[in-house]
Amino acid sequence: MNGIQTDVIAALPEIFVLSMAMFILLVDLFIKPANRIAIFMLAQLTLLGAAFITMTTHVASVTYSFSGMFVDDPMSDVLKLMIYLTTAIVLVYTRTYISLRGMFRGEFYALVLFAVAGMMIMVSGQHFLTLYMGLELLSLCLYALVAMDRDNARAAEAAMKYFVLGALASGMLLYGMSMLYGATGSLNISEVGSSLLNGVQNRPVLILGLVFIVAGLAFKLGAVPFQMWVPDVYEGSPTAVTLFIGSVTKLAAFALVIRLLAQGLFVLAIDWQGMLIIMAVLSIVIGNITAIAQTSLKRMFAYSTISHVGFLLYGIMSASVNGFASAMFYIVSYVLMTLAGFGMILLLSRKGFEADQLDDLKGLNQRNPWYAFLMLITMFSMAGVPPTLGFYAKFAVLQAALQAGMIWLVVFAVLMAVIGAFYYLRIVKIMYFDEPKDKSVIKTTTEMHWVLSLNALALLALGLMPQSLMNLCAYAITLSLS
Amino acid sequence: MNNISMQTIYLLIPLLPLIAAAIVGISGKVLPRSLAHVLTILGVGGAFGLSVLVFLDVMKGHIFNGTVYTWMTTGDYTFEVGFLVDQLTAMMMLVVTFVSLMVHIYTIGYMHDDPGYRRFFSYISLFTFSMLMLVMSNNFMQLFFGWEAVGLVSYLLIGFWFTRPTAIYANLKAFLVNRVGDFGFLLGIGMVLFFFGSLDYATVFQRAPELADIWVSVVPGTQWSVITMICILLFIGAMGKSAQVPLHVWLPDSMEGPTPISALIHAATMVTAGIFMVARMSPLFEISTTALSTVLVIGSITALFMGFLGIIQNDIKRVVAYSTLSQLGYMTVALGVSAYSVAIFHLMTHAFFKALLFLGAGSVIMGMHHDQDIRNMGGLRKYMKITWITSLIGSLALIGTPFLSGFYSKDSIIEAAKMSHIPGSGFAYFAVLAGVFVTAFYSFRMYFLVFHGKERWMEKKHDHHHAHDDHDHHHGLAPNEVPHEQSWVVTLPLVLLAIPSLAIGYFAIEPMLFGHFFDGVIFVNESVHPVMHELKEDFHGAQAMALHSLTSLPFILALSGVVLSWFFYMKRPDIPAYIKSKCSLIMYVLENKYGFDSFNEKIFAGGSRFIGSKLWKIGDVQLIDGLLVNGTANLIGRIAQRVRRLQSGLIYHYAFAMIIGVFLLLSLFLLLSLFMKV
Amino acid sequence: MIFQDYVFYALAAILLIAGLRVITARNPVHAALYLVLAFFTAAGIWLLLEAEFLAIALVLVYVGAVMVLFLFVVMMLDINLDKLREGFWSYLPLAGTVGALMAAEMVMILGTKYFGLAVFAPPAPHAADYSNTAELGLHLYTDYLLPFELAAVVLLVAIVAAIALTMRDRKDSKFIDPAAQVRVKRADRVRIVSMPAEVEVSEKDEKAAS
Repeated sequence: MNGIQTDVIAALPEIFVLSMAMFILLVDLFIKPANRIAIFMLAQLTLLGAAFITMTTHVASVTYSFSGMFVDDPMSDVLKLMIYLTTAIVLVYTRTYISLRGMFRGEFYALVLFAVAGMMIMVSGQHFLTLYMGLELLSLCLYALVAMDRDNARAAEAAMKYFVLGALASGMLLYGMSMLYGATGSLNISEVGSSLLNGVQNRPVLILGLVFIVAGLAFKLGAVPFQMWVPDVYEGSPTAVTLFIGSVTKLAAFALVIRLLAQGLFVLAIDWQGMLIIMAVLSIVIGNITAIAQTSLKRMFAYSTISHVGFLLYGIMSASVNGFASAMFYIVSYVLMTLAGFGMILLLSRKGFEADQLDDLKGLNQRNPWYAFLMLITMFSMAGVPPTLGFYAKFAVLQAALQAGMIWLVVFAVLMAVIGAFYYLRIVKIMYFDEPKDKSVIKTTTEMHWVLSLNALALLALGLMPQSLMNLCAYAITLSLS
Repeated sequence: MNNISMQTIYLLIPLLPLIAAAIVGISGKVLPRSLAHVLTILGVGGAFGLSVLVFLDVMKGHIFNGTVYTWMTTGDYTFEVGFLVDQLTAMMMLVVTFVSLMVHIYTIGYMHDDPGYRRFFSYISLFTFSMLMLVMSNNFMQLFFGWEAVGLVSYLLIGFWFTRPTAIYANLKAFLVNRVGDFGFLLGIGMVLFFFGSLDYATVFQRAPELADIWVSVVPGTQWSVITMICILLFIGAMGKSAQVPLHVWLPDSMEGPTPISALIHAATMVTAGIFMVARMSPLFEISTTALSTVLVIGSITALFMGFLGIIQNDIKRVVAYSTLSQLGYMTVALGVSAYSVAIFHLMTHAFFKALLFLGAGSVIMGMHHDQDIRNMGGLRKYMKITWITSLIGSLALIGTPFLSGFYSKDSIIEAAKMSHIPGSGFAYFAVLAGVFVTAFYSFRMYFLVFHGKERWMEKKHDHHHAHDDHDHHHGLAPNEVPHEQSWVVTLPLVLLAIPSLAIGYFAIEPMLFGHFFDGVIFVNESVHPVMHELKEDFHGAQAMALHSLTSLPFILALSGVVLSWFFYMKRPDIPAYIKSKCSLIMYVLENKYGFDSFNEKIFAGGSRFIGSKLWKIGDVQLIDGLLVNGTANLIGRIAQRVRRLQSGLIYHYAFAMIIGVFLLLSLFLLLSLFMKV
Repeated sequence: MIFQDYVFYALAAILLIAGLRVITARNPVHAALYLVLAFFTAAGIWLLLEAEFLAIALVLVYVGAVMVLFLFVVMMLDINLDKLREGFWSYLPLAGTVGALMAAEMVMILGTKYFGLAVFAPPAPHAADYSNTAELGLHLYTDYLLPFELAAVVLLVAIVAAIALTMRDRKDSKFIDPAAQVRVKRADRVRIVSMPAEVEVSEKDEKAAS
């Protein structure tokens, strides 16, 4: 009986979110379309409630439950809080957009919450099976969300691509897991880790499994050569969903990487380091250089994501506590920057008009100097210009890589970051120096105005005072990966 | 004064301009125009007043080095905002705030009718803040922050008139070129952090001798000294900011910005940041003669060859811009021969007379109603008396007329180059000597063309006016209009700047170069680089130096430059035209600025565009669009036809790429693991 | 070799042939039927491994439900497989090479010492009254409770997503709300306007109209 109680308490946030998702589905049946705003409020309340539960049940130690399949540690708590926060921001940004495109329905919010639950499971999974179920739960919701705008042929096409390729990647991940099971005799991450510590006997089998696992993870993150879906899905999806896929889900993908590589297969670090180095370098090159030639803002962000993933991998491939903490800092920064960037596209979009081309930003400064300034901060942060958050994030991961002795890789990354700065700053140039193509007044809701402003200003404020966030990441990683 | 209150003053100095900039920048059009300049002038004026206080305090021997705010701590490293206020800093603060104050006042007149009036004041105050942070920093991190911040404001200001395409182009160019420099600078700072484990000046300088003999193998098979590498990388940063060949290309184009900015940023302050930085790093540079030689050669090339380009320019501001380049080369030469204090001395005198020349040029431009072509000017001395006199003082100071400020600093550089024996010093001596003649020639070419001779605007303006009447009405004088002097806000700064241009060299040379002013700040290894020591032995007072020089080579060269330009442009204007027609090859080379621009345009800009578009074409267009037609391409007609094929086809290809990726990773790491077992 | 081995090899051979035919059969109905055969033989292999519950579940769920539904869809949709298979031969050399190489690598690893009986001893056969189903149930509701519940959630999401993506109000529905009909006022329906006798039609409007 005692066991069940701990289990339930450990998974209370997940249970709450899932119950609320179902409740929203029910409420949606009985609510008039005019009152749908209540659904939005309910979804926000759910996130708030989950945050409350996560905070109150937080302990600075690691608790296993559900026969060791589920873990509640500081890293999972911090990442979950980030997931709630960023999802709440996503919901604020997307409300107007989806209501103008006939997607403002209960299912949208229910699917988002189911996806949140999936991510929470991924963050807390301590067993290959749990992780996989969480991943599938998330992916299924995402496929459906991409296709949500049913009359949009491009979205349907993007959903199809995402689905098929995602299934392939899941298959690879699963195959890799089965290989590891064959080699270690366990599906539990802690047990896999300790069994490997006792000596690596069947290395080729482990490497076979590892390659497939890394491939599956790389797909989720969008690292080269598993990045092909990213630009198409980013561009084809409704921007509201792109925002969700591009930002929040990366937190869960990061957790997955940490659980599998850092916790389960740390002994094989020498092997996965090599794989990550190859993928990181390719991602930074292809992401940064291809982004220069883009005219679509969403596609440019897609390639920029690929390059950011490259930097993230720099942190992970350092294979040190410092490296993982830096990577966590990087992913949180990346998510905040992406939110602000896509938030601006959503802000500028109107009914029947997507502000997803670079030209749509022309002369933003003349149309609205404040939004131009916010976008300026965001672009500076993405480019890594000090003193923004993006600078410190890049600095932290590169420093970790430097400590791991990868001097040349770091030099290379710095060089590519300089090249990458070009296309971000081109946006600044377009906003400030070009004549606006369309001079209509930008209309938005009050809450979006404030949240977007806070979001972008946070990039600056956290860049000036990165210590607190860095401490939080170090705290989460150190206590969870003891 | 006790410690606490001084620390408050240090903080206030950069913060006053920042606050003023923030208020003016944020409040936008709400603020009355007059309040915009009153606020910023109060901010900068306050900073200047406090800088004087600090300077006096420092002269009493009160040096401050401490942390103000800790930004972050990561592992072993801490990043702090700290101030190092010593003689060098105090002097720089004084120069920066004074010139900035003058420019603020002048701007009231210059930008009077500009719609971006408030924005401009906000920017220049922001610039003052950034520059102060740069010079006051006590660590590399903050130095880099100030470095980037001044760069950023400078881009904003170059592109201030953002409706002009040339301004945007110049802006982009400055940005890109400076990225190259910054890359080196950042790598240098990274190496400092890596090898010293600290970014604090004091710690790094203290440990520098320990690293003198450490070598690393960067490219296998070669051994490079760590210190040399650090110094050269840092100097690459200085080359970007201080516009040394080949990273100089942005500076002449930056003249697209309003003239007060050219005076403040592109002549007096920001471009000297590189010089300041190298002087600050003297304990590092002193260890590596190789690095010093590099500095010396780059400086000499800049000093001589950029001067030549000044001869053929017709835009009044560009002439001054090229003379700035050349003078920056002089300062770099001084750094290269370990005469850091001479470089700083020249930096200071140059700041005054170059700001004066620019503001004078701006005054002429205003008088000519924004016509900048010196071929359209002439005889202005009758109409613009104050501008004429002050510009003459500036030009005389620039060419090194005895007793004027420029003479003392420039002559010291020439002497120092003569006495140095490090590799490259022979060329440097020739370059700075020849540079004297060139400088004198182009300065006075401009002076004569603008202020003397025929009043060419009389004949020019009619056709000019008609041709551009409709769209360009305020370029050039209207008919029946004569150039006239501007209000006191324009002339006052000219007069105030003319005073130090005249006299500061005479009074400052002894304490700054040969006294104890820079003791403990600038480090010179006299046993290896005895230049300063030898200079000191030859120095017998400022007056004697000036009198002695009347018979020396530099003076004769300068004089002949002036005379020749008078002869060419006043007496026989047909000779330059004749030479021009005869030496078409040289003219071609000079007019193309030695081909730097077109080289960059073709190789770097074109190259990166080429790679970008190629990758895009191969990766996206050919693989996806070309083979299968991308569903997201705009060709709706084609999509409709192939939509069925494309959907499966696309996914096949993506999936195949994934499988190939897995296959390659698998093969590679299986092979590796086999090897590792053996 | 004992009798069970013969059965295993026979089933395995049929399974492989059936699997191959699924992708090579020209007729989609045949392909689907070969898939049914493959499921059956796989169920047989599971029976040999004493996994009765899984074997029966496979036959019931996949063969009984999923495949029948799938067959209906295939027959109703009239899919042109030739179209789908366009480019099959041109891609075959490259894809085949990569596939063969990968298979070779996997065989190298999986077919060797790491997975022999020496490493994994065969489990002792259970007694005749041993209930595979009960054991599974016991595990599912204790150790594997969390993944089990999550699987349920995944299925729920699948249902929600399927409905959200497919169900829509018919645009051509003639349904009229009677209450609204009763409440209607004249002012809601008729508006009297005064119009000029002639209206100038601009070119743009004309285009929009046509």
